[in-house]
Amino acid sequence: MSTTNHDVEKAGMDEAAERRLKDLLRGAVDESLNEEPVPDVLGGVQQKLRLRSGGKFYDDAWSTARHAPVSTYLITSLIMLAVLGISYFVLQPLAGRPEPVRNQPTPVEVIVPAPRSAK
Amino acid sequence: MSAIDDPAEQKFVMLLQAHDERAFNELVCNFGPKVYRLVYRMLGRRAEAEDMTQEVFVQVFKAIGQFRGDSKLSTWIYRVAVNACKNRTKYLSRRHDGAQDVLDLIADHEPLHQAKGVTIGELSRPDQMVEGHEVEVIVRSAIAELEPDFREALVLRDIENLSYEEITEITGLAEGTVKSRIHRARAMLKEIVERALGEKIV
Repeated sequence: MSTTNHDVEKAGMDEAAERRLKDLLRGAVDESLNEEPVPDVLGGVQQKLRLRSGGKFYDDAWSTARHAPVSTYLITSLIMLAVLGISYFVLQPLAGRPEPVRNQPTPVEVIVPAPRSAK
Repeated sequence: MSAIDDPAEQKFVMLLQAHDERAFNELVCNFGPKVYRLVYRMLGRRAEAEDMTQEVFVQVFKAIGQFRGDSKLSTWIYRVAVNACKNRTKYLSRRHDGAQDVLDLIADHEPLHQAKGVTIGELSRPDQMVEGHEVEVIVRSAIAELEPDFREALVLRDIENLSYEEITEITGLAEGTVKSRIHRARAMLKEIVERALGEKIV
């Protein structure tokens, strides 16, 4: 009888022992690893790429941000709004008073037609 | 034929190949924990694993242009990680620094009151909990004692739960060789653990 690869893998260890070994393995390795926080590697990866690419990649703070910088957008918008408001209140007094509008109608010259002479 | 059927994944790979930084951030966030766990299991050192994980993603960034879609992206990243770990292990063994830190083993285990998943059955008594904790340390030490090639096969199959097909793609070995290595790794592990425990694994 030929020995298949599967037989090779199973040989020498019964199913119960194999299961027991797997339980031991997963118990020993998985449990402690799953409960501990995995370190955040993104910052380190970005830093290495920035250094090794001579600044070609990840050279600015925007590209290294994990999420879109919502707070930056919000603060920039509020600053712009404040600048517009201040400009309006500073410039308004300098604008002067508007020229008063004359609402009197232009005099109309009424031409009365000459009476017709009777023939 | 491409192994990537999902158009969204194809588009993602294209962005990666164009070295899109945001796409790469997403890749690191998605695969970082998985790669870290694999690398930690292969190297057995926490600090080493963190640095190695970063190196793996640097290599992925540099080599993503060579990814042809013949396998899944995750499989390809695993292959990069496994090869990087092999190289690091060789480098460390040349420096006679291959053994896992004993301090890591001590520091990595959970507190005794949380000891679980190590022995079969309930561990309700303190002496059993101590025993469970000892078994955990023994097993982890035994994994570290395995030769890198055998540890790689064992980790990928029995801990990462990958299929034989995926393992052959990652390691580049024939399926028969993979199965043979897994078998031998299990036998070696069993022997080391039994010797340390002084009892048979039934």
